[in-house]
Amino acid sequence: MTTVIPFGPQHPVLPEPVSLKLELDNDVVVGALPSLGYVHRGLEKFIDTKDYNQTTYICERICGICSALHGITYTKAVEKLFDVEVPERAEYIRVIVGELNRVHSHLLWLGLFADGFGFESLFYECWKYREPVLDVLERICGNRVIHSISRVGGVSKDLTKEQIDMILKMLDTVESQVKDLEKVFVNNYTVKKRTVGLATMSKQLAYEAGTVGPTLRGSGVSSDLRESADWDIYRDLGFKPVVEKDGDCYSRTLVRVKELYESIKIIRNAISKLPNGDIATPIKGFPTGEAIMRTEQPRGEVVYYVKGNGTKNLERLKIRTPTFANIPSLLLTLPGVKLADVPIVVLTIDPCISCTER
Amino acid sequence: MGMLNLVLTNVTHKPATRLYPFEIRAPFKEFKGRIAFAPENCILCGLCQKKCPPDAITVTKADKTWEINLFRCIMCTECVAGCPKNCLSVSNERVKTGAKETVKVLVPVVDKPKADKAAPSKAASSK
Repeated sequence: MTTVIPFGPQHPVLPEPVSLKLELDNDVVVGALPSLGYVHRGLEKFIDTKDYNQTTYICERICGICSALHGITYTKAVEKLFDVEVPERAEYIRVIVGELNRVHSHLLWLGLFADGFGFESLFYECWKYREPVLDVLERICGNRVIHSISRVGGVSKDLTKEQIDMILKMLDTVESQVKDLEKVFVNNYTVKKRTVGLATMSKQLAYEAGTVGPTLRGSGVSSDLRESADWDIYRDLGFKPVVEKDGDCYSRTLVRVKELYESIKIIRNAISKLPNGDIATPIKGFPTGEAIMRTEQPRGEVVYYVKGNGTKNLERLKIRTPTFANIPSLLLTLPGVKLADVPIVVLTIDPCISCTER
Repeated sequence: MGMLNLVLTNVTHKPATRLYPFEIRAPFKEFKGRIAFAPENCILCGLCQKKCPPDAITVTKADKTWEINLFRCIMCTECVAGCPKNCLSVSNERVKTGAKETVKVLVPVVDKPKADKAAPSKAASSK
């Protein structure tokens, strides 16, 4: 006989409300049923009242952690409607802010993950190392979390020489700190004991479940939109996707740790290649037609669909966020997992519920 | 990062956090704290009100006032970029919780010659 117990919507490991109804046989999960909708804000409809420039700020507020990349993806989608070339310098600044965003998001996740299996000191260390990244973002963009740097047609703030030096200095310290963290996440007995072989997802299953981002790359599929998609600037920056083969919680963690180095490398390359020139092109008129834009967020692929009808308001905005694509894989990997390990498995997809429900 | 090493560094170093209400970090000079308004050059055109995403700014031509709701303002700086007379700027002063919610500024004068020009054109159009 099975027992059904609720996991969430309020749970100590979950920063956001998601509810899973877990079907248990003794203490082993045999099935899971998600229920979403606790933080639905209706943002896709809300854009009816705002013009296409103002919508940028609504899109940034979809998620507090990957806000920069939400704004950048939206502005790039609208630029496709206008068919304008954005100055190269603006694109490089977007990459720098986007990757700094990824560094702080991954450090945040590593901390939450350590907290998920009760490794409090590692949690504090990760968040301590994240703080300088946020300070640098505040000094570049003016805000800690919601950066508001990307606008339709370019970026709103330029990088000064002083700020570039500051970024490079911060990257040096963060890189050495990440090396310290990597030792713990790779070698520590406690971390390995709780994560190795847990909720294994084969390459085939990960692909068929439509998984995206580090969850997919942890299963051995080399799929990173920074390498392949519409935003081709990453090709000049020497980017290589991080792939791990095992498909368990441990390899998903390793993907995120190694992506920190990759992001740091991209920021350094982008700074060394930063071209001079304008940071924005003026945009006239109203958008018409449809466009799709995809970028790689810290959690995976985000898809923006925009449709303009020649007025200042967009007719339709549709967003598919990475967590939405990752929830099926979570439900497929949960059966066979012990109840005590469920928080860890839920955390390894890096759930961002506010993103998913918009 | 050995555990013993970590414990020793944490014992011998200052804490990484601050005792917030008693010890406040000075804001960075790039920090977007609040919108500062210099009313001298304002022509009450209302562009800032039109551009503001959260509708925090209200410009009333009849009363000659410019008003901002600091709690609604999201510091996107669209108004600063859009002001034709450069009356608006970003200040790094923090808006404290519990501060006065709205700031209303009386704009001194609207240029007289412009008002004169506007009057005949209105008369011409009505004819």
